[in-house]
Amino acid sequence: MHEIQVGFGDILKKQLELAGENYELLSSRGVRAFNVMGAIGSGKTTVILKLAEELRRRGIRVGAVAGDVAGDDDFRRFREAGIPAVNINTGDDCHLDAHRVHHALEDLPLEDIDVLFIENVGNLVCPADFPLGTEMDIVVISVTEGDDMVRKHPKIFAQTDMVVINKVDLAEVVGVDPQRILADYRKVNPHGRAILTAAKSGHGIEELLSALGF
Amino acid sequence: MHEYSLAFSIFESLRARLAQPEMLPSRVTRRASRIKKIHLRQGELLVLSHEALKEAWRIITEGTELEGSELEIERVPVRVRCPGCGYEGDAKYLAEEGWHMRVPILSCPRCGARVKIVEGKDLAVVALTVEEEVGAS
Repeated sequence: MHEIQVGFGDILKKQLELAGENYELLSSRGVRAFNVMGAIGSGKTTVILKLAEELRRRGIRVGAVAGDVAGDDDFRRFREAGIPAVNINTGDDCHLDAHRVHHALEDLPLEDIDVLFIENVGNLVCPADFPLGTEMDIVVISVTEGDDMVRKHPKIFAQTDMVVINKVDLAEVVGVDPQRILADYRKVNPHGRAILTAAKSGHGIEELLSALGF
Repeated sequence: MHEYSLAFSIFESLRARLAQPEMLPSRVTRRASRIKKIHLRQGELLVLSHEALKEAWRIITEGTELEGSELEIERVPVRVRCPGCGYEGDAKYLAEEGWHMRVPILSCPRCGARVKIVEGKDLAVVALTVEEEVGAS
């Protein structure tokens, strides 16, 4: 038996290159894009809808990509709110990737969009490995998921730019202390921003917007 | 659960190189069926189930010249670069117990600023173990 050194480079390099192309395309059109990740039911869509509402009030044009394994529920919610949107069904894939997002960008009127929210598939494991070419990666978690979400998925939280702890108005009812989630997040990601929201009522949305640079 | 597509990417890139002998040392190309092991390096930030990747590899290679070959995966620590003080080296890891996983912290071990990842999210083929033909030089 012989061991022979070969170098194939990075298997995931193609993903990085495609993400880089998306980033270039978005920048060249003056679009700021955000990758919104988080578990199913954490409130990603509601957070995006509330952000969009406030941004539009300020005259900023918003677009959205809805990523789901199946169905078009989120997509329809965006469309009903008057947001230009594209639906991506991954068909059992657990994450969006740069290639799929690239096609979505082709179908969006980028010249009429200033800010693009890309809602990833509800999952806290795989989306972390697939950069999309966005300016920032945001994870939305809700207190109803328990206070141990960061401890259960440390890798995604260690890398993300910002965490939104949503549904804080329900914290007492479900017996979860948002401060504990916050403390765990600070440990794995000392530089990440953390914003507490109750998106449905609009609580924390202003603060989140300013953290996003608006 | 993207292990299957990763396994397929490894399979495709390995086959592409087997089809272009000039891209591999001659000992490998003489008989592709003799590849016994494919050595991979995986950055520790990459979320990857070794078990699922190996199982996917078994399924994908079935009936091909790579059938029976195995993946050997080595986890390599995350390396970072600090735009602040210029540090380049291993990332700091969460020291506290009870996380049941090595968690890299993207903070400079020297000055505490936010660092960039140099290595740690990659999956690369680094070596092949091949069986020599009996009597071959």
